[in-house]
Amino acid sequence: MPGDRRTDRMKLGTLIHPTGNHVASWLHPDAQIDAGQNFRHYVQLAQTAERGMFDAMFLADALAVRDGKAEALSRWPQYMAYFEPITLLSAIAPLTKHIGLVATTTTSYFEPYNVARKYASLDHISGGRAGWNVVTSANIAEAWNFGREQHYQHGERYDRAVEFVEVVQGLWDSWEDDAFVRDRASGRYWVPEKLHTLNHKGEHFSVRGPLNVARPPQGHPVIFQAGSSDVGKELAARFAEAVFTPQHTLEGAQAFYTDLKGRMAKYGRSPEHLKVMPGLNPVVGRTEAEAKEKHEFLQSLIHPAVGLELLSNALGNFDLSGYDLDGPLPKAVYSWTAPGGTTSFRNVLNWATTENMTIRQLYQRYAGARGQRTLIGTPRQIVDHMQDWFLNRGVDGFLIQAPYLPGGLNDFVDMVVPELQERGLLRTEYEGTTLRDNLGLPRPKNRYAA
Amino acid sequence: MRTDKMKLGTLFHPTGNHVASWLHPDSQVDAGTNFLHYVQLAQTAERGKFDVMFLADAIATRDGRREALSRWPQYMAYFEPLTLLSAIAPMTTHLGLAATATTSYNEPYNIARKFASLDHISGGRAAWNVVTSSNYSEAYNFGREAHFEHGERYDRAAEFVEVVQGLWDSWEDDAFVRDRASGRYWSPDKLHTLNHKGEHFSVRGPLNVARPPQGHPVILQAGSSETGKELAARHAEAVFTPQHTLQGAQAFYQDLKGRMPKYGRSPAHLKVLPGLNAIVGRTEAEAKEKYAELQALIHPSVGLEVLSNAIGNFDLSGYDLDGPLPDAAFHSKPNSGSTTSFSNVLSWARNENMTIRQLYQRFAGARGQRTLIGSPSQIVDDMEAWFQGYGVDGFLFHAATLPGGLEDFVNLVVPELQERGLFRTEYEGTTLRENLGLPRPVSRYAA
Repeated sequence: MPGDRRTDRMKLGTLIHPTGNHVASWLHPDAQIDAGQNFRHYVQLAQTAERGMFDAMFLADALAVRDGKAEALSRWPQYMAYFEPITLLSAIAPLTKHIGLVATTTTSYFEPYNVARKYASLDHISGGRAGWNVVTSANIAEAWNFGREQHYQHGERYDRAVEFVEVVQGLWDSWEDDAFVRDRASGRYWVPEKLHTLNHKGEHFSVRGPLNVARPPQGHPVIFQAGSSDVGKELAARFAEAVFTPQHTLEGAQAFYTDLKGRMAKYGRSPEHLKVMPGLNPVVGRTEAEAKEKHEFLQSLIHPAVGLELLSNALGNFDLSGYDLDGPLPKAVYSWTAPGGTTSFRNVLNWATTENMTIRQLYQRYAGARGQRTLIGTPRQIVDHMQDWFLNRGVDGFLIQAPYLPGGLNDFVDMVVPELQERGLLRTEYEGTTLRDNLGLPRPKNRYAA
Repeated sequence: MRTDKMKLGTLFHPTGNHVASWLHPDSQVDAGTNFLHYVQLAQTAERGKFDVMFLADAIATRDGRREALSRWPQYMAYFEPLTLLSAIAPMTTHLGLAATATTSYNEPYNIARKFASLDHISGGRAAWNVVTSSNYSEAYNFGREAHFEHGERYDRAAEFVEVVQGLWDSWEDDAFVRDRASGRYWSPDKLHTLNHKGEHFSVRGPLNVARPPQGHPVILQAGSSETGKELAARHAEAVFTPQHTLQGAQAFYQDLKGRMPKYGRSPAHLKVLPGLNAIVGRTEAEAKEKYAELQALIHPSVGLEVLSNAIGNFDLSGYDLDGPLPDAAFHSKPNSGSTTSFSNVLSWARNENMTIRQLYQRFAGARGQRTLIGSPSQIVDDMEAWFQGYGVDGFLFHAATLPGGLEDFVNLVVPELQERGLFRTEYEGTTLRENLGLPRPVSRYAA
């Protein structure tokens, strides 16, 4: 309960964007420059995270390249060309033992049967370490790769997502855990009464089943999510077991934490069975000066074309070309009402007005981590912050987004993890062999089991 | 005399291809959920210098009587092929990795991505077996009331493959300059948007995966209908269509390769590799004994179910197993895709006066596919005759039990093939294309 001292430990995930989370990461000498095609790089990252006792590694995803000015995109390769997440994680599975393997898959441009199969298969291959980050697709251009003239509207996307997840979970229960007797003496491989046909007929999907994969070791792969809209939070409260929604302040985090967990009871779920783990962008130095230097160095690598593109994205795609970079934002921006990331929009305008920032200064502040919080400091300082948020029930842990990879992850594992462990905030050994064991989540019972 | 060498693939059905494989001590009984077993199979195949391992697939469980299906677990519960092959990739170095994926219940963008990704992960060893789905029940898992009609399925498949190949060309091979000095990661003029608008698909692109190491993953196929053969002639680089006689194989070989020039393709760039069921013993007697052991394990429910499938699902329950096929069975209609089995079974019943039990004994083991039973030299004699006779470019080996049957083949047959100069002793290269002797496709956009 709020106020009680927590005795549990933090959960940690690591988000892996190919060269790192900072917009200029690929230009850093400590980044693996060909990450988008370098399988070994990912294996090393996974093994580093495992050394650092992380619960899970996490891959974001999209089913389209970014749209935008080629001049800018060709200087910032995020979301342009990289591995498909489930094939990549499947390949990492045999080279790791404990780390959870969480992939993003959209409910908008897949079919539930295929998604159920792939995650179940990954769960078997990895001995129970699969996780599925449920998204509805943030890149609206994905629609054009799947025969649609436009992306689904917000409400319909979420309705489809809810039904999709229900179908997938139903399919994961097709075979009871003990259906496979494999009895040579009697010639019986599986027990007929322990195979169940879903027969789902809903508004968006009609799926008969059964699934042609045995019940996953975890019962169900772990469900992750990151919604912040009301509909997103309700979906999370109903299905999600870990949530990554970004947070900027402890107060905001606490409000979200309480709100989200408060919505779970009506679904028959206990609040401990959802882990809140917002993103954290750490820049770690042995001293504060060293950390600041690392950050400044990365910032100095931001190319104006890229900075402008991102700032423009944040401002609802207002075209900033032709304006003096060392001058103020054009007045027209303030009356621009095109749709965009509204939090970012408001933040940027706020900085512009209250701090009189130039365009260059604005993109410098915004572009590095696209408006997400960046924590720059020593291991102690970073852990102080993490501890504060954790003990005050703003979070159950964090999704670490290293600024450049592998350097930034190595820094975190070498310097921050020992500090967390020393303070009793993070495990020194894995609790179990499955992702559920490590996250402290219950194993779902099969809906058909007596 | 051919101077080239045979190509060999190996198909892995969980526990093996024989209908009673799981009951035999030489099989890994929990294959459907045992990942390490598959790693061992792949490594055995690699030791045996196989070109490629191959996974069949379906996106539905079999339909039929549970009494029978629960005794024959093929196509009931196993790994999804792309996840499994991706996991096998880092545990192997030279073996090709071929997955079946249907064009009927997938979207081209997702298929293009996954196979491109597997190709990168494996250093250029991915292959896609293009099917249109033979299990009609798959439709019910994807919101359809019925499977696509034959013609429409193949039209969709042809367009699907075109889109996928177009997406694989999105990035030119040298698009990624990754130049820190100038701050340029990729060259804008080397990224191409497909903008496909066709009858079945509308796909803008570009693909968000770099051009695969092989240019394009290798395309496999196994059609035997007219449309299937035309699709193969146009796109396929290896074809697995089953053959029963050398004459039939030769006719198919000529026919198929003869269709290629009009697509601007050389006949050498398609490898014909029909299935081969071989039961190997150190002697002929030992091989026959192994076969008899397996045959003795066929459960009547399973035998009846499989036989019934072969004759258009005619219900054989209630008939004396040691009596003849009922007259009514002869008027049944074959299921689509089983016309050969249908006519074979009825022909055996008529001409050889076989009982129901004898019929399922003959048919069920390998579902009517040709099975060779003998010593290594007997088996290689047969393979050599088909190869030298231009009936095949190689074979897709179906081990009756796994791992036992694969080990037998690798330990006993492969050395004999190598000794006769019919098969490689070392891999030619590190990509599947190099080993199969296939050219690397040039990007359609490259100057």
